Amino acid sequence: MNAVLVPAIRRRRVGLLGWSLGLLALVALVAVSYPAVRGNAELDRTFAQMSPAVRSLLGLGAGAALTSPAGYLNSQFFANLLPVMLLIFGIGGGAWAIAGDEAAGMLELLLANPVSRPHVAVARFTAVAVMICGLAVVTLAALLAAREPAGLGQVTPMHLTAAVAATAAMALVYSALAFAVGAGGGARATALATAGGAAVVGFVLEGLGQAVAALRPLRDLMPWHWLLAADPLVHGASWRALGLPLAVTVVLCAAGTVAFVRRDLR
Amino acid sequence: MNAAPAIQVDRLTRRFGRLVAVDDVSFAVAPGQVVGFLGPNGAGKSTTVRTLMGFLHPTAGSCRVLGVWPGRDVGVRGRIGYLPGDFRIEAGMRPSDLFAWFARVRGVPVRWGNELAERLDLDVSRPFGTLSKGNRQKVGLVQAFLHRPEVVVLDEPSTGLDPGSQRELLGLVRAAAARGAAVLFSSHVLPEVERVADRVAVLRDGRLIAFSPVGDLLDHARHRLELSFTEPVSADVLQGVPGVVGVQADGRRLDVVVDGPVGPALAAATASGDLLRVAPIGDELEDLFFAEAER
Repeated sequence: MNAVLVPAIRRRRVGLLGWSLGLLALVALVAVSYPAVRGNAELDRTFAQMSPAVRSLLGLGAGAALTSPAGYLNSQFFANLLPVMLLIFGIGGGAWAIAGDEAAGMLELLLANPVSRPHVAVARFTAVAVMICGLAVVTLAALLAAREPAGLGQVTPMHLTAAVAATAAMALVYSALAFAVGAGGGARATALATAGGAAVVGFVLEGLGQAVAALRPLRDLMPWHWLLAADPLVHGASWRALGLPLAVTVVLCAAGTVAFVRRDLR
Repeated sequence: MNAAPAIQVDRLTRRFGRLVAVDDVSFAVAPGQVVGFLGPNGAGKSTTVRTLMGFLHPTAGSCRVLGVWPGRDVGVRGRIGYLPGDFRIEAGMRPSDLFAWFARVRGVPVRWGNELAERLDLDVSRPFGTLSKGNRQKVGLVQAFLHRPEVVVLDEPSTGLDPGSQRELLGLVRAAAARGAAVLFSSHVLPEVERVADRVAVLRDGRLIAFSPVGDLLDHARHRLELSFTEPVSADVLQGVPGVVGVQADGRRLDVVVDGPVGPALAAATASGDLLRVAPIGDELEDLFFAEAER
């Protein structure tokens, strides 16, 4: 694994540092803003009047108030900023893992060495997964450090951990989709468009599903729904929020690897 | 050739949809032998090489390196040095990092890469993107040779190299062959192959039209020359001269196409007036291939 995995991470270390700093800044911004929101009952009333679809998209499940610690964190961070950040990083990384490096000429060069295609495919997706987890750990550490000072102490460390882990798991699904499209022979742009499009569709269905009952079976298949409906920040870890996306990730990674072994390089 | 071939291409065919890129091609390279792989762009050289390396699957036939197909046998790849036709790595990567990485993967001392780079006068600490075209190609050469491979497969290795670096490339190839490596050297330029190869395999439209000792090919090669005189000349002076298959006069210049040795044509030209200058036109390869294909 060392031959492929570590160099893959090393090659992205500068980008990884930038993303870590960005996430730290976001957590800091969210944390220092909470004291100003906490006492604002007007905000609660405004948001309580919104449609269930919008409230659901904001991560405000039944009865959660925007000004409560969990409601605030969900609506300002866990239902939007963090998943979008991890999705962008994860989809970009998944498309880079095979398709991007193939277009850059590096893949053929690497495969002229004594490393097998399954090894290269699995190690390179693992590298992306490790980097997503690394960003999640940085985020979690910042949240845990900011929790008490920002007045968000009501949210337990366990639930914070579950929420960050579940968000990373959702990003992994779309990252694995981008990886699998590239491994199967798709160009980098195709991999990006497929996984990015799937993520957007999932998000839109989450909102529409509240209003349009006919769309609910489709919505229920979306990793976004697994995350938002399970609400790990309030309910803690669950199979739907963690086990299901990780299982789908493994299946996508395996399917991509099998396709990669059989095909011609471009 | 007593030794078992290190590279064996046997009735290889590769199609892309309806296009037949490589059509029933067979040739072999023995240890210590350099085979030039010649053909115009698009003749199927890269497809043959990439199938040989295991990046593409053969449609029919087979290709083997040291008895196995590298697409299936991962271990044999550590014994091959490969330079792709369009060598590039990501712009931010330093050559020293690439060499160290590949040396580790291939199980040889990391310093081998840097030693070779030093011989080629390559600065290994500058990011790939800041290097000149010739230096980028040198990075590709170093990574192909750094583990002292038993089999060397070079796809258009002299692309972008200045004449000095080209000589160094030919030196590397000769040294590899001298220590027993089998070398497949693809090119669309005859002169450089002529200087280093023992045999030449000529590919045209996916078919192998010649596989012969390099001397044989040169004996039969078709040359195109421009002869300049002090006075205007007529095309008649070269009509009927052995080997001359075409003459066109243009004032004080003759454009001559010769099959095989050029001696008789030059003798006739010298006899017919004051010959100022003899210059080859083009790299002759296209003409050469036509000559081979017609035979």
